[in-house]
Amino acid sequence: MSLDPALETLVSSVVAGARNNTHLKTDLVSHCQDILTSHIGQGQEPDLGHLADIIKRQLLHSSPSGAASLKFTNLLSRLLDQPILSKKHASVLFLHSLATSSRQNIKKPAFLSNITLPPPSRNVVPSPFDVISVNQQSGGKSKAELLREHRRKTDLPQLPEALLIRDALYLLQGISGKFVRFSLHDDTDPEDMLVFLDDPRYVITAPIKAVIHRLSEVGYLYTRVSAFVQDREAAPGVGMIEQSLCHHLQAQLTEYYRLIAILESQMASKSIHSGEIMIYIPTDGIEEEMGLTLRRLDVWINEWRLRMRMMSICVEGARDAHGGALVNLIHGYTDNGDPFVRRFTDELLEEVSKPFFATLHKWLFSGELYDPFSEFFVALDLTMAHLQYVHPSSLAGGIGPPSGDGGFGGFGGEADDLSNVREGGLRLWETKYQFQKNMLPMFVGEAFGRKIFSTGKSLNFIRYSCHDSDWVVTREKMSNTGGTLKYSDIAGLERSIDAAYQIASQRLFEVFIEKFKLLDHLCALKNYLMLGHGDFADQLMEALGPSLTKPANTLYRHNLTATLETAIRSSNAQNDPTDVLRRLDARMLEYSHGEIGWDVFTLEYKVDAPIDTVFDPESMEKYLKLFKYLWQMKRIEGALNKGWMRIAGGARTFLRVPELNSEWHRIRLVMGEMIHFVRQLQAYCHLEVIECSWKVLIDFLNKKEGDLDALINAHRMYLDRMVKKIMLLSPRAGKEENVLMQVKESFATILQFREASDNFYNYCLSESARRDGNLDTNRGVFTGAEGGEMQPPDALVKICDRLKEYSSSFSDRAQTIVQYLQVHPDLDCRFLGIRLSFSDFYKSKKAQ
Amino acid sequence: MSTRESDRITSAQQTLDILYEMSQLLNTQLDKETLATCVGMIESGVNPEALAAVIQELRRESSVLSAQPATGSHR
Repeated sequence: MSLDPALETLVSSVVAGARNNTHLKTDLVSHCQDILTSHIGQGQEPDLGHLADIIKRQLLHSSPSGAASLKFTNLLSRLLDQPILSKKHASVLFLHSLATSSRQNIKKPAFLSNITLPPPSRNVVPSPFDVISVNQQSGGKSKAELLREHRRKTDLPQLPEALLIRDALYLLQGISGKFVRFSLHDDTDPEDMLVFLDDPRYVITAPIKAVIHRLSEVGYLYTRVSAFVQDREAAPGVGMIEQSLCHHLQAQLTEYYRLIAILESQMASKSIHSGEIMIYIPTDGIEEEMGLTLRRLDVWINEWRLRMRMMSICVEGARDAHGGALVNLIHGYTDNGDPFVRRFTDELLEEVSKPFFATLHKWLFSGELYDPFSEFFVALDLTMAHLQYVHPSSLAGGIGPPSGDGGFGGFGGEADDLSNVREGGLRLWETKYQFQKNMLPMFVGEAFGRKIFSTGKSLNFIRYSCHDSDWVVTREKMSNTGGTLKYSDIAGLERSIDAAYQIASQRLFEVFIEKFKLLDHLCALKNYLMLGHGDFADQLMEALGPSLTKPANTLYRHNLTATLETAIRSSNAQNDPTDVLRRLDARMLEYSHGEIGWDVFTLEYKVDAPIDTVFDPESMEKYLKLFKYLWQMKRIEGALNKGWMRIAGGARTFLRVPELNSEWHRIRLVMGEMIHFVRQLQAYCHLEVIECSWKVLIDFLNKKEGDLDALINAHRMYLDRMVKKIMLLSPRAGKEENVLMQVKESFATILQFREASDNFYNYCLSESARRDGNLDTNRGVFTGAEGGEMQPPDALVKICDRLKEYSSSFSDRAQTIVQYLQVHPDLDCRFLGIRLSFSDFYKSKKAQ
Repeated sequence: MSTRESDRITSAQQTLDILYEMSQLLNTQLDKETLATCVGMIESGVNPEALAAVIQELRRESSVLSAQPATGSHR
């Protein structure tokens, strides 16, 4: 072997002991030959450049300054220049192998004693495979590297993020991207809204997909909001509140566009920076400082996600809510712990509620409802809308301003006209404007809502029904100097509402009392219909009495009105204002066969707009009912008065029928009882009921608090109280009119008794006349009277029987009434019972 | 002729110098003579990695032996 001598030299130069020991030397040489002929290092490609790289990197590691590496490069180039060696690569490889393998031996302690320490190395765990591993720099492989290797093996690289970012930016605008697109089916649930396109060359990992899902939510919401805005812009008849909502949303969307534009420019700058998007090499370690990543996008978008959600909720709500309800819906989100949501909704509300406040301002200060899209919480009843202008003007020519010459004649022709219009008054007030609770914004509160409603209604009423628009206009001008109403100033809003309410209701009272003489009308009703003017009532009774006993069909309206006028002229009533007297009218109710004048006669008091808001037809009916009852009572009183005058005067002076004196006494007793009954009843009605109720009403009017509704209510209560107490109505169902029936029957009994007593009087009169004639004849004096024939005695018996029957029946009724009244739930009525039986007259009778 | 020979020798000397410097840089702990022998062997076709293994082996052997003579000299 040609190598042997060289080997021997090598052995003897390395192993000092073998120089003398030939046996050892031959052993070692043969051993070395074995190694050489083995397959160590086979199959290594002769690439000097590659090898040089490896060595240089190692040197860099051992001395990071780079000086060693530089020196090596230098040496290598010089070596390559040398022509001698044919296998330079092999030599370098030999040196390298020796170097790396020798480093392993450093750890051996035996070696340490012999050899000087090599320069310290950071390479702790070198392995033969290091030569093969290309990327290897540090010791272990990180998970990411393992993953990357795995991917490289499966040959499916990750989709470059830059491409995904571009898609994500599209998604944010609701546009499908190249790799990710929105599902076309609308009915799929939100989870499946995104479709990732399968590309065999790339994979998109699950985390990336999740991020993209998060981003695409914003895009999805954006499409909804922008679709809504566009939809509303195109659609006709969109409410003002909704319009301003759209405007706010549009402004928000513009902000959003700006953000996307910024993001896009960032992405563009990145693509320039990296130069190549398509050939994306995952750089490990050094992240790009500039540019956009999906996570960064997510962070940028995060705030917008919340905002978009809020907007989307508003949009959803706007689909079925409207006007004030929409404001309400948004207001519902202001009570949120999240300051971001709170601020957003506050801003939104400020914007959205502007048209609402504009309408509110107009309504509150001028009583005009300008609400073309019916968004306000006050709604106009369309059927009543026209009345606003027609109603007052139609009346203006009729009985508008009191004209001096206006007698009673003017009423005749207009009666039908009036009755048609008159149903307007209260109904106009009550139904023209409706309060809609669901449209009332919550931040106003229902109490204030009611106040606002009532204020505007009052102003509207003053303006159109009371022809006092000048005042309203002046007021409106004055109010304009004060600040505007807005959402952020709720306290100020409440103050101005209170002030406006006060002023409006005060003015309404003034208008009613001063301009329309409400008090005069109330007095007139009390004096005439409830017989407050005693002299007038007596005059009327006297003038009308004879004609009212006739059958109803023989009465004529013009006679009645003429009599009424006579009564007015001859009583104190003539001093009342003409406007009041003009309205007073006498007429007959609908009558049927057999009824007499008493049954159908009634006084009437005509009211017109706007007073008829208070004196609505229903209450006028109650007045008529009261009048009828009181008139009846008056009639009984009058009848009893006349009867008493006969008995007391006539019977004592010229009716000298001694055997009937006891009978007369009995009649006087009974009549006294009846007079007591009627007088007490009348006193109760006038003093305890009418005057007391009147005082309550006047107190209310003097206070001038509340609005027209309160006024109407007060009047209604006044009237109801009177009806209830005068009619002695009991609250027990089914028995309300029990007492009233008894009283009315007792009235009838009194009239019958009166008739019977008249008969008795006539009998006595003729009897005494006959006796006087007889006496004259006996004396021989001719008086012309023929004495006449003796009246049949049974006639006297009949009359006495009837008198007895009626008196006992009256007593029974009076007793029943007192019994009823004693257990009456109303205190005043109970007190009437006590008055009627003050000396326990009826009770003792029963005890007997 | 002689100049060519001397040129050859100087160039060989230079090459060896370079290689020696490299060897020192790589910390192989070979002396110049052994290096020359090894390069000669490599030039004649010996596998460099196998040769490196041989050197390792010999060094190991030498270290074992250097422990023995200490005891042997006493014997």
